[in-house]
Amino acid sequence: MSAYIGRRLLQMIPLMLGISLVLFAIIQAAPGGPEGALLQTGRMVDARMVEAYRHRLGVDKPVPVQYVRWLGAALSGHLGVSFSSSRPVSRMILERLPATLELMGVSFLLAALVAVALGIFSAVKQYSAFDFFGTGFSFLGIAMPVFWFALILQMVFGVWLKWLPISGTHTPGVTSVMDHLEHLILPAAVLSLRYIAGWSRYLRSSLLGVLRADYVRTARAKGLPERTVVGVHAVRNALIPVVSVMALNLADLFSGAVITETVFSWPGIGRMFVNAMYARDYPLLMGILLLGSVMVLVFNLVADLVYAALDPRIRYD
Amino acid sequence: MAHVRRTLPLLAALALLVAMAACEGGRRDTASRSTGGRRILRIAYPREIDVLNPFTSQNLVDIEFSMMEGLVTTDDHNSYVPVLAKEIPTEANGLVVRRDDGAVAVTWPLHAGVRWHDGVPFTSADVCFTWRFVSSPGSQTYNRDQYLGIKSCDTPNDTTVVFTWDGLYGYYDGLFEAVLPEHVFRGMSADQIVNDAAFNRGRTTIGTGPFKFAEWKSGEYIRVVRNGDYWRGPAYPRIDEIVWSFIPDDNTRLNALKSGDYHWSQIQAVQVKDVVHLPGYQVHLISSNSVMHLDLNVKTARGRLLFGDPDVRRAIFHAVDRRAIADQLMEGTVTLADTPINPTSPYHDGSVQGYVFDPDLARRMLDAAGWRTGPDGVRAKNGQRFSFTLLNRAGSADRTAIGQVIQAQLRDVGIEVKFETLESAAWTQRWRTSTWEAVVSAWFLSADPSLTSLYQCDGPNNMTGMCDPVLDSVMEASDRHLDFAGRKPLLDEVQERLHDDAFTLPIYYNVVPEVVSDAVGDYRGSGTNFGSFWNLWEWTLR
Repeated sequence: MSAYIGRRLLQMIPLMLGISLVLFAIIQAAPGGPEGALLQTGRMVDARMVEAYRHRLGVDKPVPVQYVRWLGAALSGHLGVSFSSSRPVSRMILERLPATLELMGVSFLLAALVAVALGIFSAVKQYSAFDFFGTGFSFLGIAMPVFWFALILQMVFGVWLKWLPISGTHTPGVTSVMDHLEHLILPAAVLSLRYIAGWSRYLRSSLLGVLRADYVRTARAKGLPERTVVGVHAVRNALIPVVSVMALNLADLFSGAVITETVFSWPGIGRMFVNAMYARDYPLLMGILLLGSVMVLVFNLVADLVYAALDPRIRYD
Repeated sequence: MAHVRRTLPLLAALALLVAMAACEGGRRDTASRSTGGRRILRIAYPREIDVLNPFTSQNLVDIEFSMMEGLVTTDDHNSYVPVLAKEIPTEANGLVVRRDDGAVAVTWPLHAGVRWHDGVPFTSADVCFTWRFVSSPGSQTYNRDQYLGIKSCDTPNDTTVVFTWDGLYGYYDGLFEAVLPEHVFRGMSADQIVNDAAFNRGRTTIGTGPFKFAEWKSGEYIRVVRNGDYWRGPAYPRIDEIVWSFIPDDNTRLNALKSGDYHWSQIQAVQVKDVVHLPGYQVHLISSNSVMHLDLNVKTARGRLLFGDPDVRRAIFHAVDRRAIADQLMEGTVTLADTPINPTSPYHDGSVQGYVFDPDLARRMLDAAGWRTGPDGVRAKNGQRFSFTLLNRAGSADRTAIGQVIQAQLRDVGIEVKFETLESAAWTQRWRTSTWEAVVSAWFLSADPSLTSLYQCDGPNNMTGMCDPVLDSVMEASDRHLDFAGRKPLLDEVQERLHDDAFTLPIYYNVVPEVVSDAVGDYRGSGTNFGSFWNLWEWTLR
């Protein structure tokens, strides 16, 4: 097993090089450059300043030269300096990462709990009122635009009821945990809805298949109580595909939720990514995208390992 | 299983009740009340800024001005007022002296007893240091070129600074909107200052202003606290703390405001109707120096073919109903613009009357110019259809809507307008390289009324390729006058010629709707690029 993991990790190195090349090319292919940020305020600008700015950032050089420069620095552990803030990219990412991890982590946990319960009940009580409700809820969750749902929650809980704050991670000057949790509720609710909707559908259909399998019928024939049949024999097997989907989704933990973070002014990676994109902040974009790519690779490996742990038929040698 | 069916709804109802009770008990205090006796001003700000150095930031720098002060600022009448300077030098008060060699000595008397936030005295040497930094090639200051006319900076004493200009520059009194502390940057090159993370992020950020830097939480807010050593005396400032929360989403900002969490916010013009009756708040429609306009480009061959004839350009402008755009599209929140200079400025020429909406006149003018309506309803001349592309910027809903109105109205007079929409940075690149036929865009002008850079034949910000040598000479002459009386008639002529030349159609002055809590006193909103926080030192908070 450890040889397998080592091999997979080694394979990631050329893969990451390829990914970085493609990302760099795509980012640079977008029309416009970082100097756009200078000109968007509509102020009259000294034209020589624009050229000096491009020169200082090095974007006046040919793209291959820029890539080689970037790669050289990246290989020595330096992800570069953000164009817009002149700060190290790695530091900016580390600064925003906790907020994203927290929001995504809480949403994942919440979603996992609800989705598993919802999926199991829907499958066991197929075509019951609860199943129809769960199905309706799931389709609503998948279909509803995130920003719209977020704004509605803000209206109801922030503006009308005044129960919950609607932006930021805490009230400036207030350090209590309660205050922070209050700020977390709405964005976590919005984010988890989508995962609940998707995962519960997966689990429902997977469990429905398993419940009709021979070994489940055998378990029932042995006279085992329904709770044991479902809980021990069916759910564990039904979880195999669901857990792989969840593990793949785990990569999102590090790339953030662009819309939710923007609407709730949550200071995470997703929001920073959007700003970096508008500003053509190439080093920051590369940093964030690379982090996301590494995480996709890592969690692909995790998904494979979890798969093997859950399913005794799968062995990696 | 039957008992599960009965207990499940019961449990759910119980959970809901508990949640409601818990929340009811904990109904949030709105943050707009002061906390622990401290008067904390809470501002819902539309963006996160990049750096705290006002000369290198690429954003509008109103947050910085709470901490850093300059020789001057602009007030709510679009005029420069002294801050660290005791008075603004003019020839009348004897502080501007023309020398025989053509040079001009401008003497700025400074307030005595001013200290930086770290206690070090502020002196004339700081002003000269700021000039050396800004005018150096690597300073990245957007209007660096304006500082290049200064040839030397002298400090006869700590409270006097003398600039020697190499000639007459009308904008001499509007520079130095901030002064940098020399002792913080001593020994650094311009590049090092631009990249100095300590100053850019707050660790060493000091100024002479009413508030001191306290905290910058990345992605969330900037907090400043009262400067107890402020030079205007112990009575100022009258607020203990200010928090600028970054809330980029327009709808979230509106919701945040409605929830009562903030004292001040900027909203969009089309959101005004949502807050106009919000209890405890007033909406101020600040007419800004940003003028929304339609530009016709003659730098491209296609542009010259279509827009080369001034009568054709005038016909197009007569076909656009600016009043409808202002009153219906912008819901009456904006002021119609007839010239680029806002009526709040003393340099505005009220005698210029914008193009009246008259489609019949437009049709006659186009006929006379040889553009005849073809079988498809679109005019043509020498086998060329009168069809052009309007370059739109994605995400600018107001500009796109204006473009749609223009499209419909020009179709009425036989002109076809097509759309090309680009994302912001891509749009900017196309616009700067003048590879477009028409755009709706906005300039944000400073309080100084010079328009030379925008409309001079080879002006660095002339994107339309317009060229009127007579206009050039009048604009250049207006830049060489140092007094209002000499400058005003020339700028009047500039505004009249701009109207006649008809390369650019001013549509309206952008409005900045600012929603301010009734608890705030002495707020005096300003539409210049210095923003409404220019007099924070005297704001009060109940």
